[in-house]
Amino acid sequence: MAHQAHAYHMVDPSPWPLTGAIAALLLTSGLAIWFHFHSTTLMTLGLILTLLTMYQWWRDIIREGTFQGHHTPPVQKGLRYGMILFITSEVFFFLGFFWAFYHSSLAPTPELGGCWPPTGITTLDPFEVPLLNTAVLLASGVTVTWAHHSLMEGERKQAIQSLALTILLGLYFTALQAMEYYEAPFTIADGVYGSTFFVATGFHGLHVIIGSTFLAVCLLRQIQYHFTSEHHFGFEAAAWYWHFVDVVWLFLYVSIYWWGS
Amino acid sequence: MFSAAVLRASAAGIRCLTRTRPVYTAPLVVRCFSHAEVETDEEFDSRWVTYFSKPDLDTWELCKGMNTLIGYDLVPEPKILDSALRACRRLNDLASAIRILEAVKDKSGPHKEIYPYVIQELTPTLQELGISTPEELGIDKV
Repeated sequence: MAHQAHAYHMVDPSPWPLTGAIAALLLTSGLAIWFHFHSTTLMTLGLILTLLTMYQWWRDIIREGTFQGHHTPPVQKGLRYGMILFITSEVFFFLGFFWAFYHSSLAPTPELGGCWPPTGITTLDPFEVPLLNTAVLLASGVTVTWAHHSLMEGERKQAIQSLALTILLGLYFTALQAMEYYEAPFTIADGVYGSTFFVATGFHGLHVIIGSTFLAVCLLRQIQYHFTSEHHFGFEAAAWYWHFVDVVWLFLYVSIYWWGS
Repeated sequence: MFSAAVLRASAAGIRCLTRTRPVYTAPLVVRCFSHAEVETDEEFDSRWVTYFSKPDLDTWELCKGMNTLIGYDLVPEPKILDSALRACRRLNDLASAIRILEAVKDKSGPHKEIYPYVIQELTPTLQELGISTPEELGIDKV
Protein backbone atom coordinates (compact mmCIF):
# COMPACT_ATOMS: atom_id res chain seq x y z
CA MET A 1 0.00 0.00 0.00
CA ALA A 2 1.43 3.42 -0.96
CA HIS A 3 1.95 6.05 1.75
CA GLN A 4 2.89 9.69 1.48
CA ALA A 5 5.94 10.89 3.43
CA HIS A 6 4.31 14.25 4.31
CA ALA A 7 1.23 15.58 6.10
CA TYR A 8 -0.18 17.52 3.18
CA HIS A 9 -3.29 16.70 1.16
CA MET A 10 -2.77 15.75 -2.48
CA VAL A 11 -6.36 16.04 -3.64
CA ASP A 12 -7.85 13.56 -6.06
CA PRO A 13 -8.74 14.80 -9.56
CA SER A 14 -12.04 16.68 -9.40
CA PRO A 15 -14.44 17.98 -12.05
CA TRP A 16 -15.73 20.84 -9.93
CA PRO A 17 -13.13 23.49 -10.86
CA LEU A 18 -14.05 22.90 -14.51
CA THR A 19 -17.80 23.00 -13.87
CA GLY A 20 -17.24 26.13 -11.79
CA ALA A 21 -15.36 27.81 -14.60
CA ILE A 22 -18.05 26.84 -17.11
CA ALA A 23 -20.68 28.12 -14.68
CA ALA A 24 -18.88 31.46 -14.47
CA LEU A 25 -18.77 31.67 -18.25
CA LEU A 26 -22.48 30.87 -18.57
CA LEU A 27 -23.37 33.36 -15.84
CA THR A 28 -21.46 36.24 -17.43
CA SER A 29 -22.42 35.58 -21.02
CA GLY A 30 -25.94 34.78 -19.84
CA LEU A 31 -26.08 38.20 -18.21
CA ALA A 32 -25.08 39.84 -21.49
CA ILE A 33 -27.65 37.77 -23.40
CA TRP A 34 -30.33 38.78 -20.93
CA PHE A 35 -29.49 42.46 -21.31
CA HIS A 36 -29.47 42.43 -25.10
CA PHE A 37 -31.88 39.67 -26.13
CA HIS A 38 -34.23 39.38 -23.13
CA SER A 39 -33.63 35.65 -22.63
CA THR A 40 -32.67 34.34 -19.18
CA THR A 41 -32.02 30.72 -20.23
CA LEU A 42 -28.23 30.89 -20.37
CA MET A 43 -27.94 32.78 -17.12
CA THR A 44 -30.30 30.40 -15.32
CA LEU A 45 -28.23 27.49 -16.57
CA GLY A 46 -25.14 29.21 -15.23
CA LEU A 47 -26.81 29.77 -11.88
CA ILE A 48 -27.86 26.12 -11.57
CA LEU A 49 -24.39 24.96 -12.52
CA THR A 50 -22.86 27.35 -9.96
CA LEU A 51 -25.06 26.01 -7.19
CA LEU A 52 -24.34 22.41 -8.17
CA THR A 53 -20.60 23.12 -8.25
CA MET A 54 -20.63 24.75 -4.84
CA TYR A 55 -22.70 21.95 -3.31
CA GLN A 56 -20.58 19.14 -4.67
CA TRP A 57 -17.20 20.79 -4.20
CA TRP A 58 -17.80 21.67 -0.58
CA ARG A 59 -19.45 18.27 0.03
CA ASP A 60 -16.24 16.69 -1.23
CA ILE A 61 -14.13 18.86 1.10
CA ILE A 62 -16.27 17.73 4.03
CA ARG A 63 -15.81 14.10 2.94
CA GLU A 64 -12.03 14.57 2.62
CA GLY A 65 -11.68 16.35 5.98
CA THR A 66 -14.29 14.94 8.32
CA PHE A 67 -14.61 11.40 7.01
CA GLN A 68 -11.23 10.63 5.42
CA GLY A 69 -8.99 12.56 7.86
CA HIS A 70 -7.04 14.49 5.27
CA HIS A 71 -7.21 17.77 7.22
CA THR A 72 -4.06 17.39 9.28
CA PRO A 73 -2.71 20.42 11.23
CA PRO A 74 -0.65 21.80 8.33
CA VAL A 75 -3.60 21.33 5.97
CA GLN A 76 -5.86 23.14 8.41
CA LYS A 77 -3.28 25.92 8.65
CA GLY A 78 -3.47 26.31 4.88
CA LEU A 79 -7.26 26.47 5.05
CA ARG A 80 -6.99 29.16 7.71
CA TYR A 81 -4.66 31.23 5.56
CA GLY A 82 -7.05 30.76 2.66
CA MET A 83 -10.07 31.99 4.59
CA ILE A 84 -8.17 34.97 5.97
CA LEU A 85 -6.96 35.94 2.50
CA PHE A 86 -10.46 35.58 1.10
CA ILE A 87 -11.99 37.77 3.81
CA THR A 88 -9.21 40.32 3.22
CA SER A 89 -10.13 40.44 -0.46
CA GLU A 90 -13.74 41.05 0.55
CA VAL A 91 -12.62 43.91 2.78
CA PHE A 92 -11.02 45.53 -0.27
CA PHE A 93 -14.21 44.91 -2.22
CA PHE A 94 -16.21 46.91 0.31
CA LEU A 95 -13.47 49.52 0.59
CA GLY A 96 -14.24 50.46 -3.01
CA PHE A 97 -17.87 51.18 -2.24
CA PHE A 98 -16.96 53.19 0.83
CA TRP A 99 -14.56 55.16 -1.35
CA ALA A 100 -17.41 55.87 -3.77
CA PHE A 101 -19.64 56.97 -0.90
CA TYR A 102 -17.11 59.33 0.65
CA HIS A 103 -16.05 60.72 -2.72
CA SER A 104 -19.66 61.67 -3.40
CA SER A 105 -20.68 62.80 0.09
CA LEU A 106 -17.64 64.82 1.19
CA ALA A 107 -17.80 66.96 -1.98
CA PRO A 108 -21.45 67.06 -3.05
CA THR A 109 -21.80 68.43 -6.59
CA PRO A 110 -24.07 71.31 -7.66
CA GLU A 111 -26.45 68.77 -9.24
CA LEU A 112 -27.22 67.60 -5.70
CA GLY A 113 -27.53 71.15 -4.41
CA GLY A 114 -24.00 71.18 -3.03
CA CYS A 115 -25.21 69.44 0.11
CA TRP A 116 -25.40 65.97 1.63
CA PRO A 117 -27.94 64.45 1.92
CA PRO A 118 -28.77 65.79 -1.55
CA THR A 119 -31.73 68.08 -2.06
CA GLY A 120 -34.96 66.11 -2.20
CA ILE A 121 -33.67 63.01 -0.45
CA THR A 122 -35.47 61.98 2.76
CA THR A 123 -33.00 59.80 4.58
CA LEU A 124 -33.89 56.95 6.90
CA ASP A 125 -33.84 57.76 10.60
CA PRO A 126 -30.65 56.09 11.87
CA PHE A 127 -32.20 55.56 15.29
CA GLU A 128 -35.11 53.50 14.07
CA VAL A 129 -34.81 50.19 12.15
CA PRO A 130 -31.12 50.71 11.29
CA LEU A 131 -30.30 50.88 15.01
CA LEU A 132 -32.34 47.73 15.63
CA ASN A 133 -30.39 46.06 12.82
CA THR A 134 -27.15 47.08 14.53
CA ALA A 135 -28.33 45.54 17.79
CA VAL A 136 -29.40 42.36 15.98
CA LEU A 137 -26.02 41.87 14.33
CA LEU A 138 -24.07 42.69 17.48
CA ALA A 139 -26.21 40.18 19.38
CA SER A 140 -25.55 37.59 16.69
CA GLY A 141 -21.82 38.18 17.21
CA VAL A 142 -22.33 37.29 20.86
CA THR A 143 -24.35 34.16 20.08
CA VAL A 144 -21.82 32.90 17.52
CA THR A 145 -19.06 33.33 20.13
CA TRP A 146 -21.25 31.46 22.59
CA ALA A 147 -21.61 28.70 19.99
CA HIS A 148 -17.84 28.54 19.56
CA HIS A 149 -17.20 28.21 23.26
CA SER A 150 -19.92 25.56 23.53
CA LEU A 151 -18.23 23.62 20.74
CA MET A 152 -14.83 23.86 22.40
CA GLU A 153 -16.28 22.73 25.72
CA GLY A 154 -18.14 19.80 24.20
CA GLU A 155 -21.55 21.26 25.03
CA ARG A 156 -23.47 19.80 22.12
CA LYS A 157 -26.96 21.05 22.94
CA GLN A 158 -25.81 24.58 23.73
CA ALA A 159 -23.75 24.70 20.56
CA ILE A 160 -26.81 23.76 18.53
CA GLN A 161 -29.02 26.28 20.34
CA SER A 162 -26.63 29.22 20.10
CA LEU A 163 -25.79 28.49 16.46
CA ALA A 164 -29.50 28.27 15.63
CA LEU A 165 -30.09 31.56 17.46
CA THR A 166 -27.28 33.19 15.47
CA ILE A 167 -28.90 32.09 12.22
CA LEU A 168 -32.32 33.33 13.38
CA LEU A 169 -30.82 36.73 14.17
CA GLY A 170 -29.23 36.77 10.73
CA LEU A 171 -32.60 36.01 9.14
CA TYR A 172 -34.25 38.67 11.29
CA PHE A 173 -31.72 41.22 10.01
CA THR A 174 -32.41 40.17 6.42
CA ALA A 175 -36.17 40.43 6.93
CA LEU A 176 -35.90 43.87 8.55
CA GLN A 177 -33.60 45.12 5.82
CA ALA A 178 -35.91 43.78 3.11
CA MET A 179 -38.78 45.68 4.70
CA GLU A 180 -36.65 48.83 4.87
CA TYR A 181 -35.79 48.47 1.17
CA TYR A 182 -39.47 48.13 0.33
CA GLU A 183 -40.55 51.09 2.46
CA ALA A 184 -37.64 53.44 1.67
CA PRO A 185 -38.65 56.84 0.27
CA PHE A 186 -35.81 56.70 -2.28
CA THR A 187 -34.62 54.14 -4.84
CA ILE A 188 -31.33 53.08 -6.40
CA ALA A 189 -32.17 55.41 -9.31
CA ASP A 190 -32.23 58.49 -7.05
CA GLY A 191 -28.91 59.99 -8.00
CA VAL A 192 -25.61 59.17 -6.42
CA TYR A 193 -27.28 58.92 -2.99
CA GLY A 194 -29.45 56.05 -4.15
CA SER A 195 -26.58 54.41 -5.98
CA THR A 196 -24.13 54.47 -3.07
CA PHE A 197 -26.79 53.53 -0.53
CA PHE A 198 -28.26 50.53 -2.30
CA VAL A 199 -25.04 49.16 -3.81
CA ALA A 200 -23.16 49.29 -0.50
CA THR A 201 -26.01 48.04 1.70
CA GLY A 202 -27.17 45.66 -1.02
CA PHE A 203 -23.83 43.88 -1.28
CA HIS A 204 -23.71 43.80 2.50
CA GLY A 205 -27.15 42.17 2.60
CA LEU A 206 -25.97 39.59 0.09
CA HIS A 207 -23.04 38.82 2.37
CA VAL A 208 -25.42 38.44 5.33
CA ILE A 209 -27.36 35.87 3.31
CA ILE A 210 -24.15 34.07 2.34
CA GLY A 211 -22.95 34.14 5.96
CA SER A 212 -26.27 32.87 7.27
CA THR A 213 -26.15 30.02 4.75
CA PHE A 214 -22.60 29.15 5.80
CA LEU A 215 -23.69 29.09 9.45
CA ALA A 216 -26.74 26.96 8.56
CA VAL A 217 -24.48 24.39 6.91
CA CYS A 218 -22.40 24.38 10.10
CA LEU A 219 -25.56 23.83 12.14
CA LEU A 220 -26.49 20.82 10.02
CA ARG A 221 -22.94 19.47 10.35
CA GLN A 222 -22.93 20.00 14.12
CA ILE A 223 -26.23 18.11 14.40
CA GLN A 224 -24.65 15.28 12.40
CA TYR A 225 -21.62 15.10 14.72
CA HIS A 226 -19.05 16.39 12.20
CA PHE A 227 -17.32 18.73 14.67
CA THR A 228 -15.10 17.80 17.61
CA SER A 229 -14.14 20.05 20.48
CA GLU A 230 -10.64 20.34 19.03
CA HIS A 231 -11.32 20.36 15.29
CA HIS A 232 -14.12 22.45 13.80
CA PHE A 233 -12.46 24.73 11.30
CA GLY A 234 -15.57 24.94 9.08
CA PHE A 235 -17.37 26.55 11.97
CA GLU A 236 -14.48 28.88 12.74
CA ALA A 237 -14.36 30.01 9.12
CA ALA A 238 -18.11 30.69 9.22
CA ALA A 239 -17.73 32.61 12.48
CA TRP A 240 -14.87 34.75 11.06
CA TYR A 241 -16.99 35.52 8.01
CA TRP A 242 -19.93 36.41 10.23
CA HIS A 243 -17.83 38.82 12.33
CA PHE A 244 -16.55 40.41 9.10
CA VAL A 245 -20.19 40.93 7.96
CA ASP A 246 -20.96 42.50 11.33
CA VAL A 247 -17.99 44.88 11.15
CA VAL A 248 -18.91 45.95 7.61
CA TRP A 249 -22.40 46.75 8.88
CA LEU A 250 -20.98 48.88 11.71
CA PHE A 251 -19.01 50.92 9.15
CA LEU A 252 -22.07 51.18 6.91
CA TYR A 253 -24.22 52.29 9.82
CA VAL A 254 -21.82 54.95 11.06
CA SER A 255 -20.91 56.26 7.57
CA ILE A 256 -24.06 56.04 5.47
CA TYR A 257 -26.92 55.86 7.92
CA TRP A 258 -25.66 58.13 10.68
CA TRP A 259 -23.03 60.58 9.34
CA GLY A 260 -24.66 60.57 5.91
CA SER A 261 -28.02 61.69 7.23
CA MET B 1 -16.43 89.89 12.38
CA PHE B 2 -18.63 87.18 11.02
CA SER B 3 -16.90 84.36 12.83
CA ALA B 4 -19.16 83.44 15.66
CA ALA B 5 -15.97 82.29 17.35
CA VAL B 6 -17.04 78.71 17.53
CA LEU B 7 -14.07 77.63 15.51
CA ARG B 8 -11.65 77.29 18.36
CA ALA B 9 -9.53 74.23 18.13
CA SER B 10 -11.16 72.07 20.80
CA ALA B 11 -10.83 74.30 23.82
CA ALA B 12 -11.56 72.36 26.94
CA GLY B 13 -12.03 75.48 29.02
CA ILE B 14 -12.54 73.94 32.38
CA ARG B 15 -11.35 75.98 35.25
CA CYS B 16 -9.99 74.04 38.12
CA LEU B 17 -8.56 74.85 41.46
CA THR B 18 -5.46 72.88 42.40
CA ARG B 19 -3.26 72.81 45.39
CA THR B 20 0.43 73.51 44.84
CA ARG B 21 3.35 72.06 46.66
CA PRO B 22 3.21 72.32 50.46
CA VAL B 23 5.92 75.04 50.40
CA TYR B 24 3.38 77.76 49.57
CA THR B 25 0.52 78.51 51.89
CA ALA B 26 -1.93 80.00 49.33
CA PRO B 27 -3.53 77.79 46.64
CA LEU B 28 -2.82 78.69 42.99
CA VAL B 29 -5.50 78.82 40.31
CA VAL B 30 -4.62 76.71 37.24
CA ARG B 31 -6.62 77.13 34.01
CA CYS B 32 -6.99 73.75 32.36
CA PHE B 33 -7.32 74.78 28.70
CA SER B 34 -6.29 72.59 25.82
CA HIS B 35 -2.77 73.15 24.55
CA ALA B 36 -3.86 73.14 20.90
CA GLU B 37 -3.01 76.11 18.73
CA VAL B 38 -5.82 78.68 18.48
CA GLU B 39 -6.22 80.22 15.03
CA THR B 40 -7.04 83.90 14.74
CA ASP B 41 -9.85 85.06 12.46
CA GLU B 42 -7.29 86.51 10.05
CA GLU B 43 -5.40 83.23 9.89
CA PHE B 44 -8.63 81.36 9.26
CA ASP B 45 -9.62 83.73 6.46
CA SER B 46 -6.25 83.68 4.74
CA ARG B 47 -6.09 79.87 4.97
CA TRP B 48 -9.35 79.59 3.10
CA VAL B 49 -8.47 82.29 0.57
CA THR B 50 -5.30 80.29 -0.15
CA TYR B 51 -7.29 77.06 -0.43
CA PHE B 52 -9.53 78.38 -3.18
CA SER B 53 -6.65 80.22 -4.91
CA LYS B 54 -4.87 76.99 -5.83
CA PRO B 55 -4.49 77.32 -9.63
CA ASP B 56 -5.13 73.64 -10.35
CA LEU B 57 -7.95 73.21 -7.82
CA ASP B 58 -10.26 70.54 -9.21
CA THR B 59 -14.05 70.28 -9.07
CA TRP B 60 -13.97 67.79 -6.21
CA GLU B 61 -11.75 70.08 -4.13
CA LEU B 62 -14.02 73.04 -4.84
CA CYS B 63 -17.12 71.10 -3.71
CA LYS B 64 -15.26 69.71 -0.68
CA GLY B 65 -13.96 73.12 0.32
CA MET B 66 -17.36 74.76 0.04
CA ASN B 67 -19.07 71.96 1.92
CA THR B 68 -16.52 72.15 4.76
CA LEU B 69 -16.63 75.96 4.89
CA ILE B 70 -20.43 76.05 5.01
CA GLY B 71 -20.35 73.48 7.79
CA TYR B 72 -18.67 75.93 10.14
CA ASP B 73 -20.68 78.12 12.50
CA LEU B 74 -19.92 81.34 10.64
CA VAL B 75 -20.64 83.26 7.46
CA PRO B 76 -17.49 83.34 5.32
CA GLU B 77 -15.81 86.70 4.76
CA PRO B 78 -16.28 88.29 1.32
CA LYS B 79 -12.60 87.76 0.57
CA ILE B 80 -12.98 83.99 0.98
CA LEU B 81 -16.11 84.01 -1.18
CA ASP B 82 -14.27 86.07 -3.79
CA SER B 83 -11.54 83.42 -3.95
CA ALA B 84 -14.16 80.66 -4.22
CA LEU B 85 -16.03 82.49 -6.99
CA ARG B 86 -12.81 82.86 -8.96
CA ALA B 87 -12.21 79.13 -8.53
CA CYS B 88 -15.70 78.53 -9.97
CA ARG B 89 -14.75 80.72 -12.94
CA ARG B 90 -11.57 78.71 -13.55
CA LEU B 91 -13.63 75.51 -13.45
CA ASN B 92 -16.44 76.92 -15.66
CA ASP B 93 -18.94 76.20 -12.88
CA LEU B 94 -21.57 78.94 -12.89
CA ALA B 95 -24.03 76.76 -10.98
CA SER B 96 -21.70 76.47 -7.99
CA ALA B 97 -20.99 80.21 -8.10
CA ILE B 98 -24.67 81.08 -7.74
CA ARG B 99 -25.12 78.31 -5.17
CA ILE B 100 -22.39 79.91 -3.05
CA LEU B 101 -24.44 83.11 -2.89
CA GLU B 102 -27.52 81.11 -1.86
CA ALA B 103 -25.46 79.43 0.84
CA VAL B 104 -24.35 82.79 2.24
CA LYS B 105 -27.95 83.87 2.56
CA ASP B 106 -28.82 80.60 4.26
CA LYS B 107 -25.89 80.78 6.67
CA SER B 108 -26.86 84.30 7.74
CA GLY B 109 -29.96 82.84 9.32
CA PRO B 110 -31.99 85.51 11.13
CA HIS B 111 -29.31 88.20 10.54
CA LYS B 112 -30.89 89.63 7.42
CA GLU B 113 -28.36 92.43 7.07
CA ILE B 114 -25.42 90.13 6.30
CA TYR B 115 -26.43 88.95 2.83
CA PRO B 116 -26.98 92.41 1.25
CA TYR B 117 -23.65 93.50 2.75
CA VAL B 118 -21.80 90.52 1.25
CA ILE B 119 -23.44 91.07 -2.15
CA GLN B 120 -22.44 94.73 -1.95
CA GLU B 121 -18.83 93.78 -1.22
CA LEU B 122 -18.78 91.18 -3.99
CA THR B 123 -20.53 93.25 -6.68
CA PRO B 124 -17.30 94.21 -8.53
CA THR B 125 -16.28 90.54 -8.63
CA LEU B 126 -19.75 89.39 -9.68
CA GLN B 127 -19.74 91.89 -12.51
CA GLU B 128 -16.20 91.02 -13.56
CA LEU B 129 -16.95 87.29 -13.67
CA GLY B 130 -20.46 87.65 -15.07
CA ILE B 131 -22.22 85.98 -12.14
CA SER B 132 -25.90 86.82 -11.60
CA THR B 133 -27.38 86.77 -8.13
CA PRO B 134 -30.30 84.47 -7.34
CA GLU B 135 -32.48 87.57 -7.02
CA GLU B 136 -31.55 88.76 -10.51
CA LEU B 137 -32.43 85.34 -11.90
CA GLY B 138 -35.68 85.21 -9.95
CA ILE B 139 -34.77 81.92 -8.30
CA ASP B 140 -34.69 83.28 -4.77
CA LYS B 141 -38.43 82.72 -4.47
CA VAL B 142 -39.48 79.06 -4.30
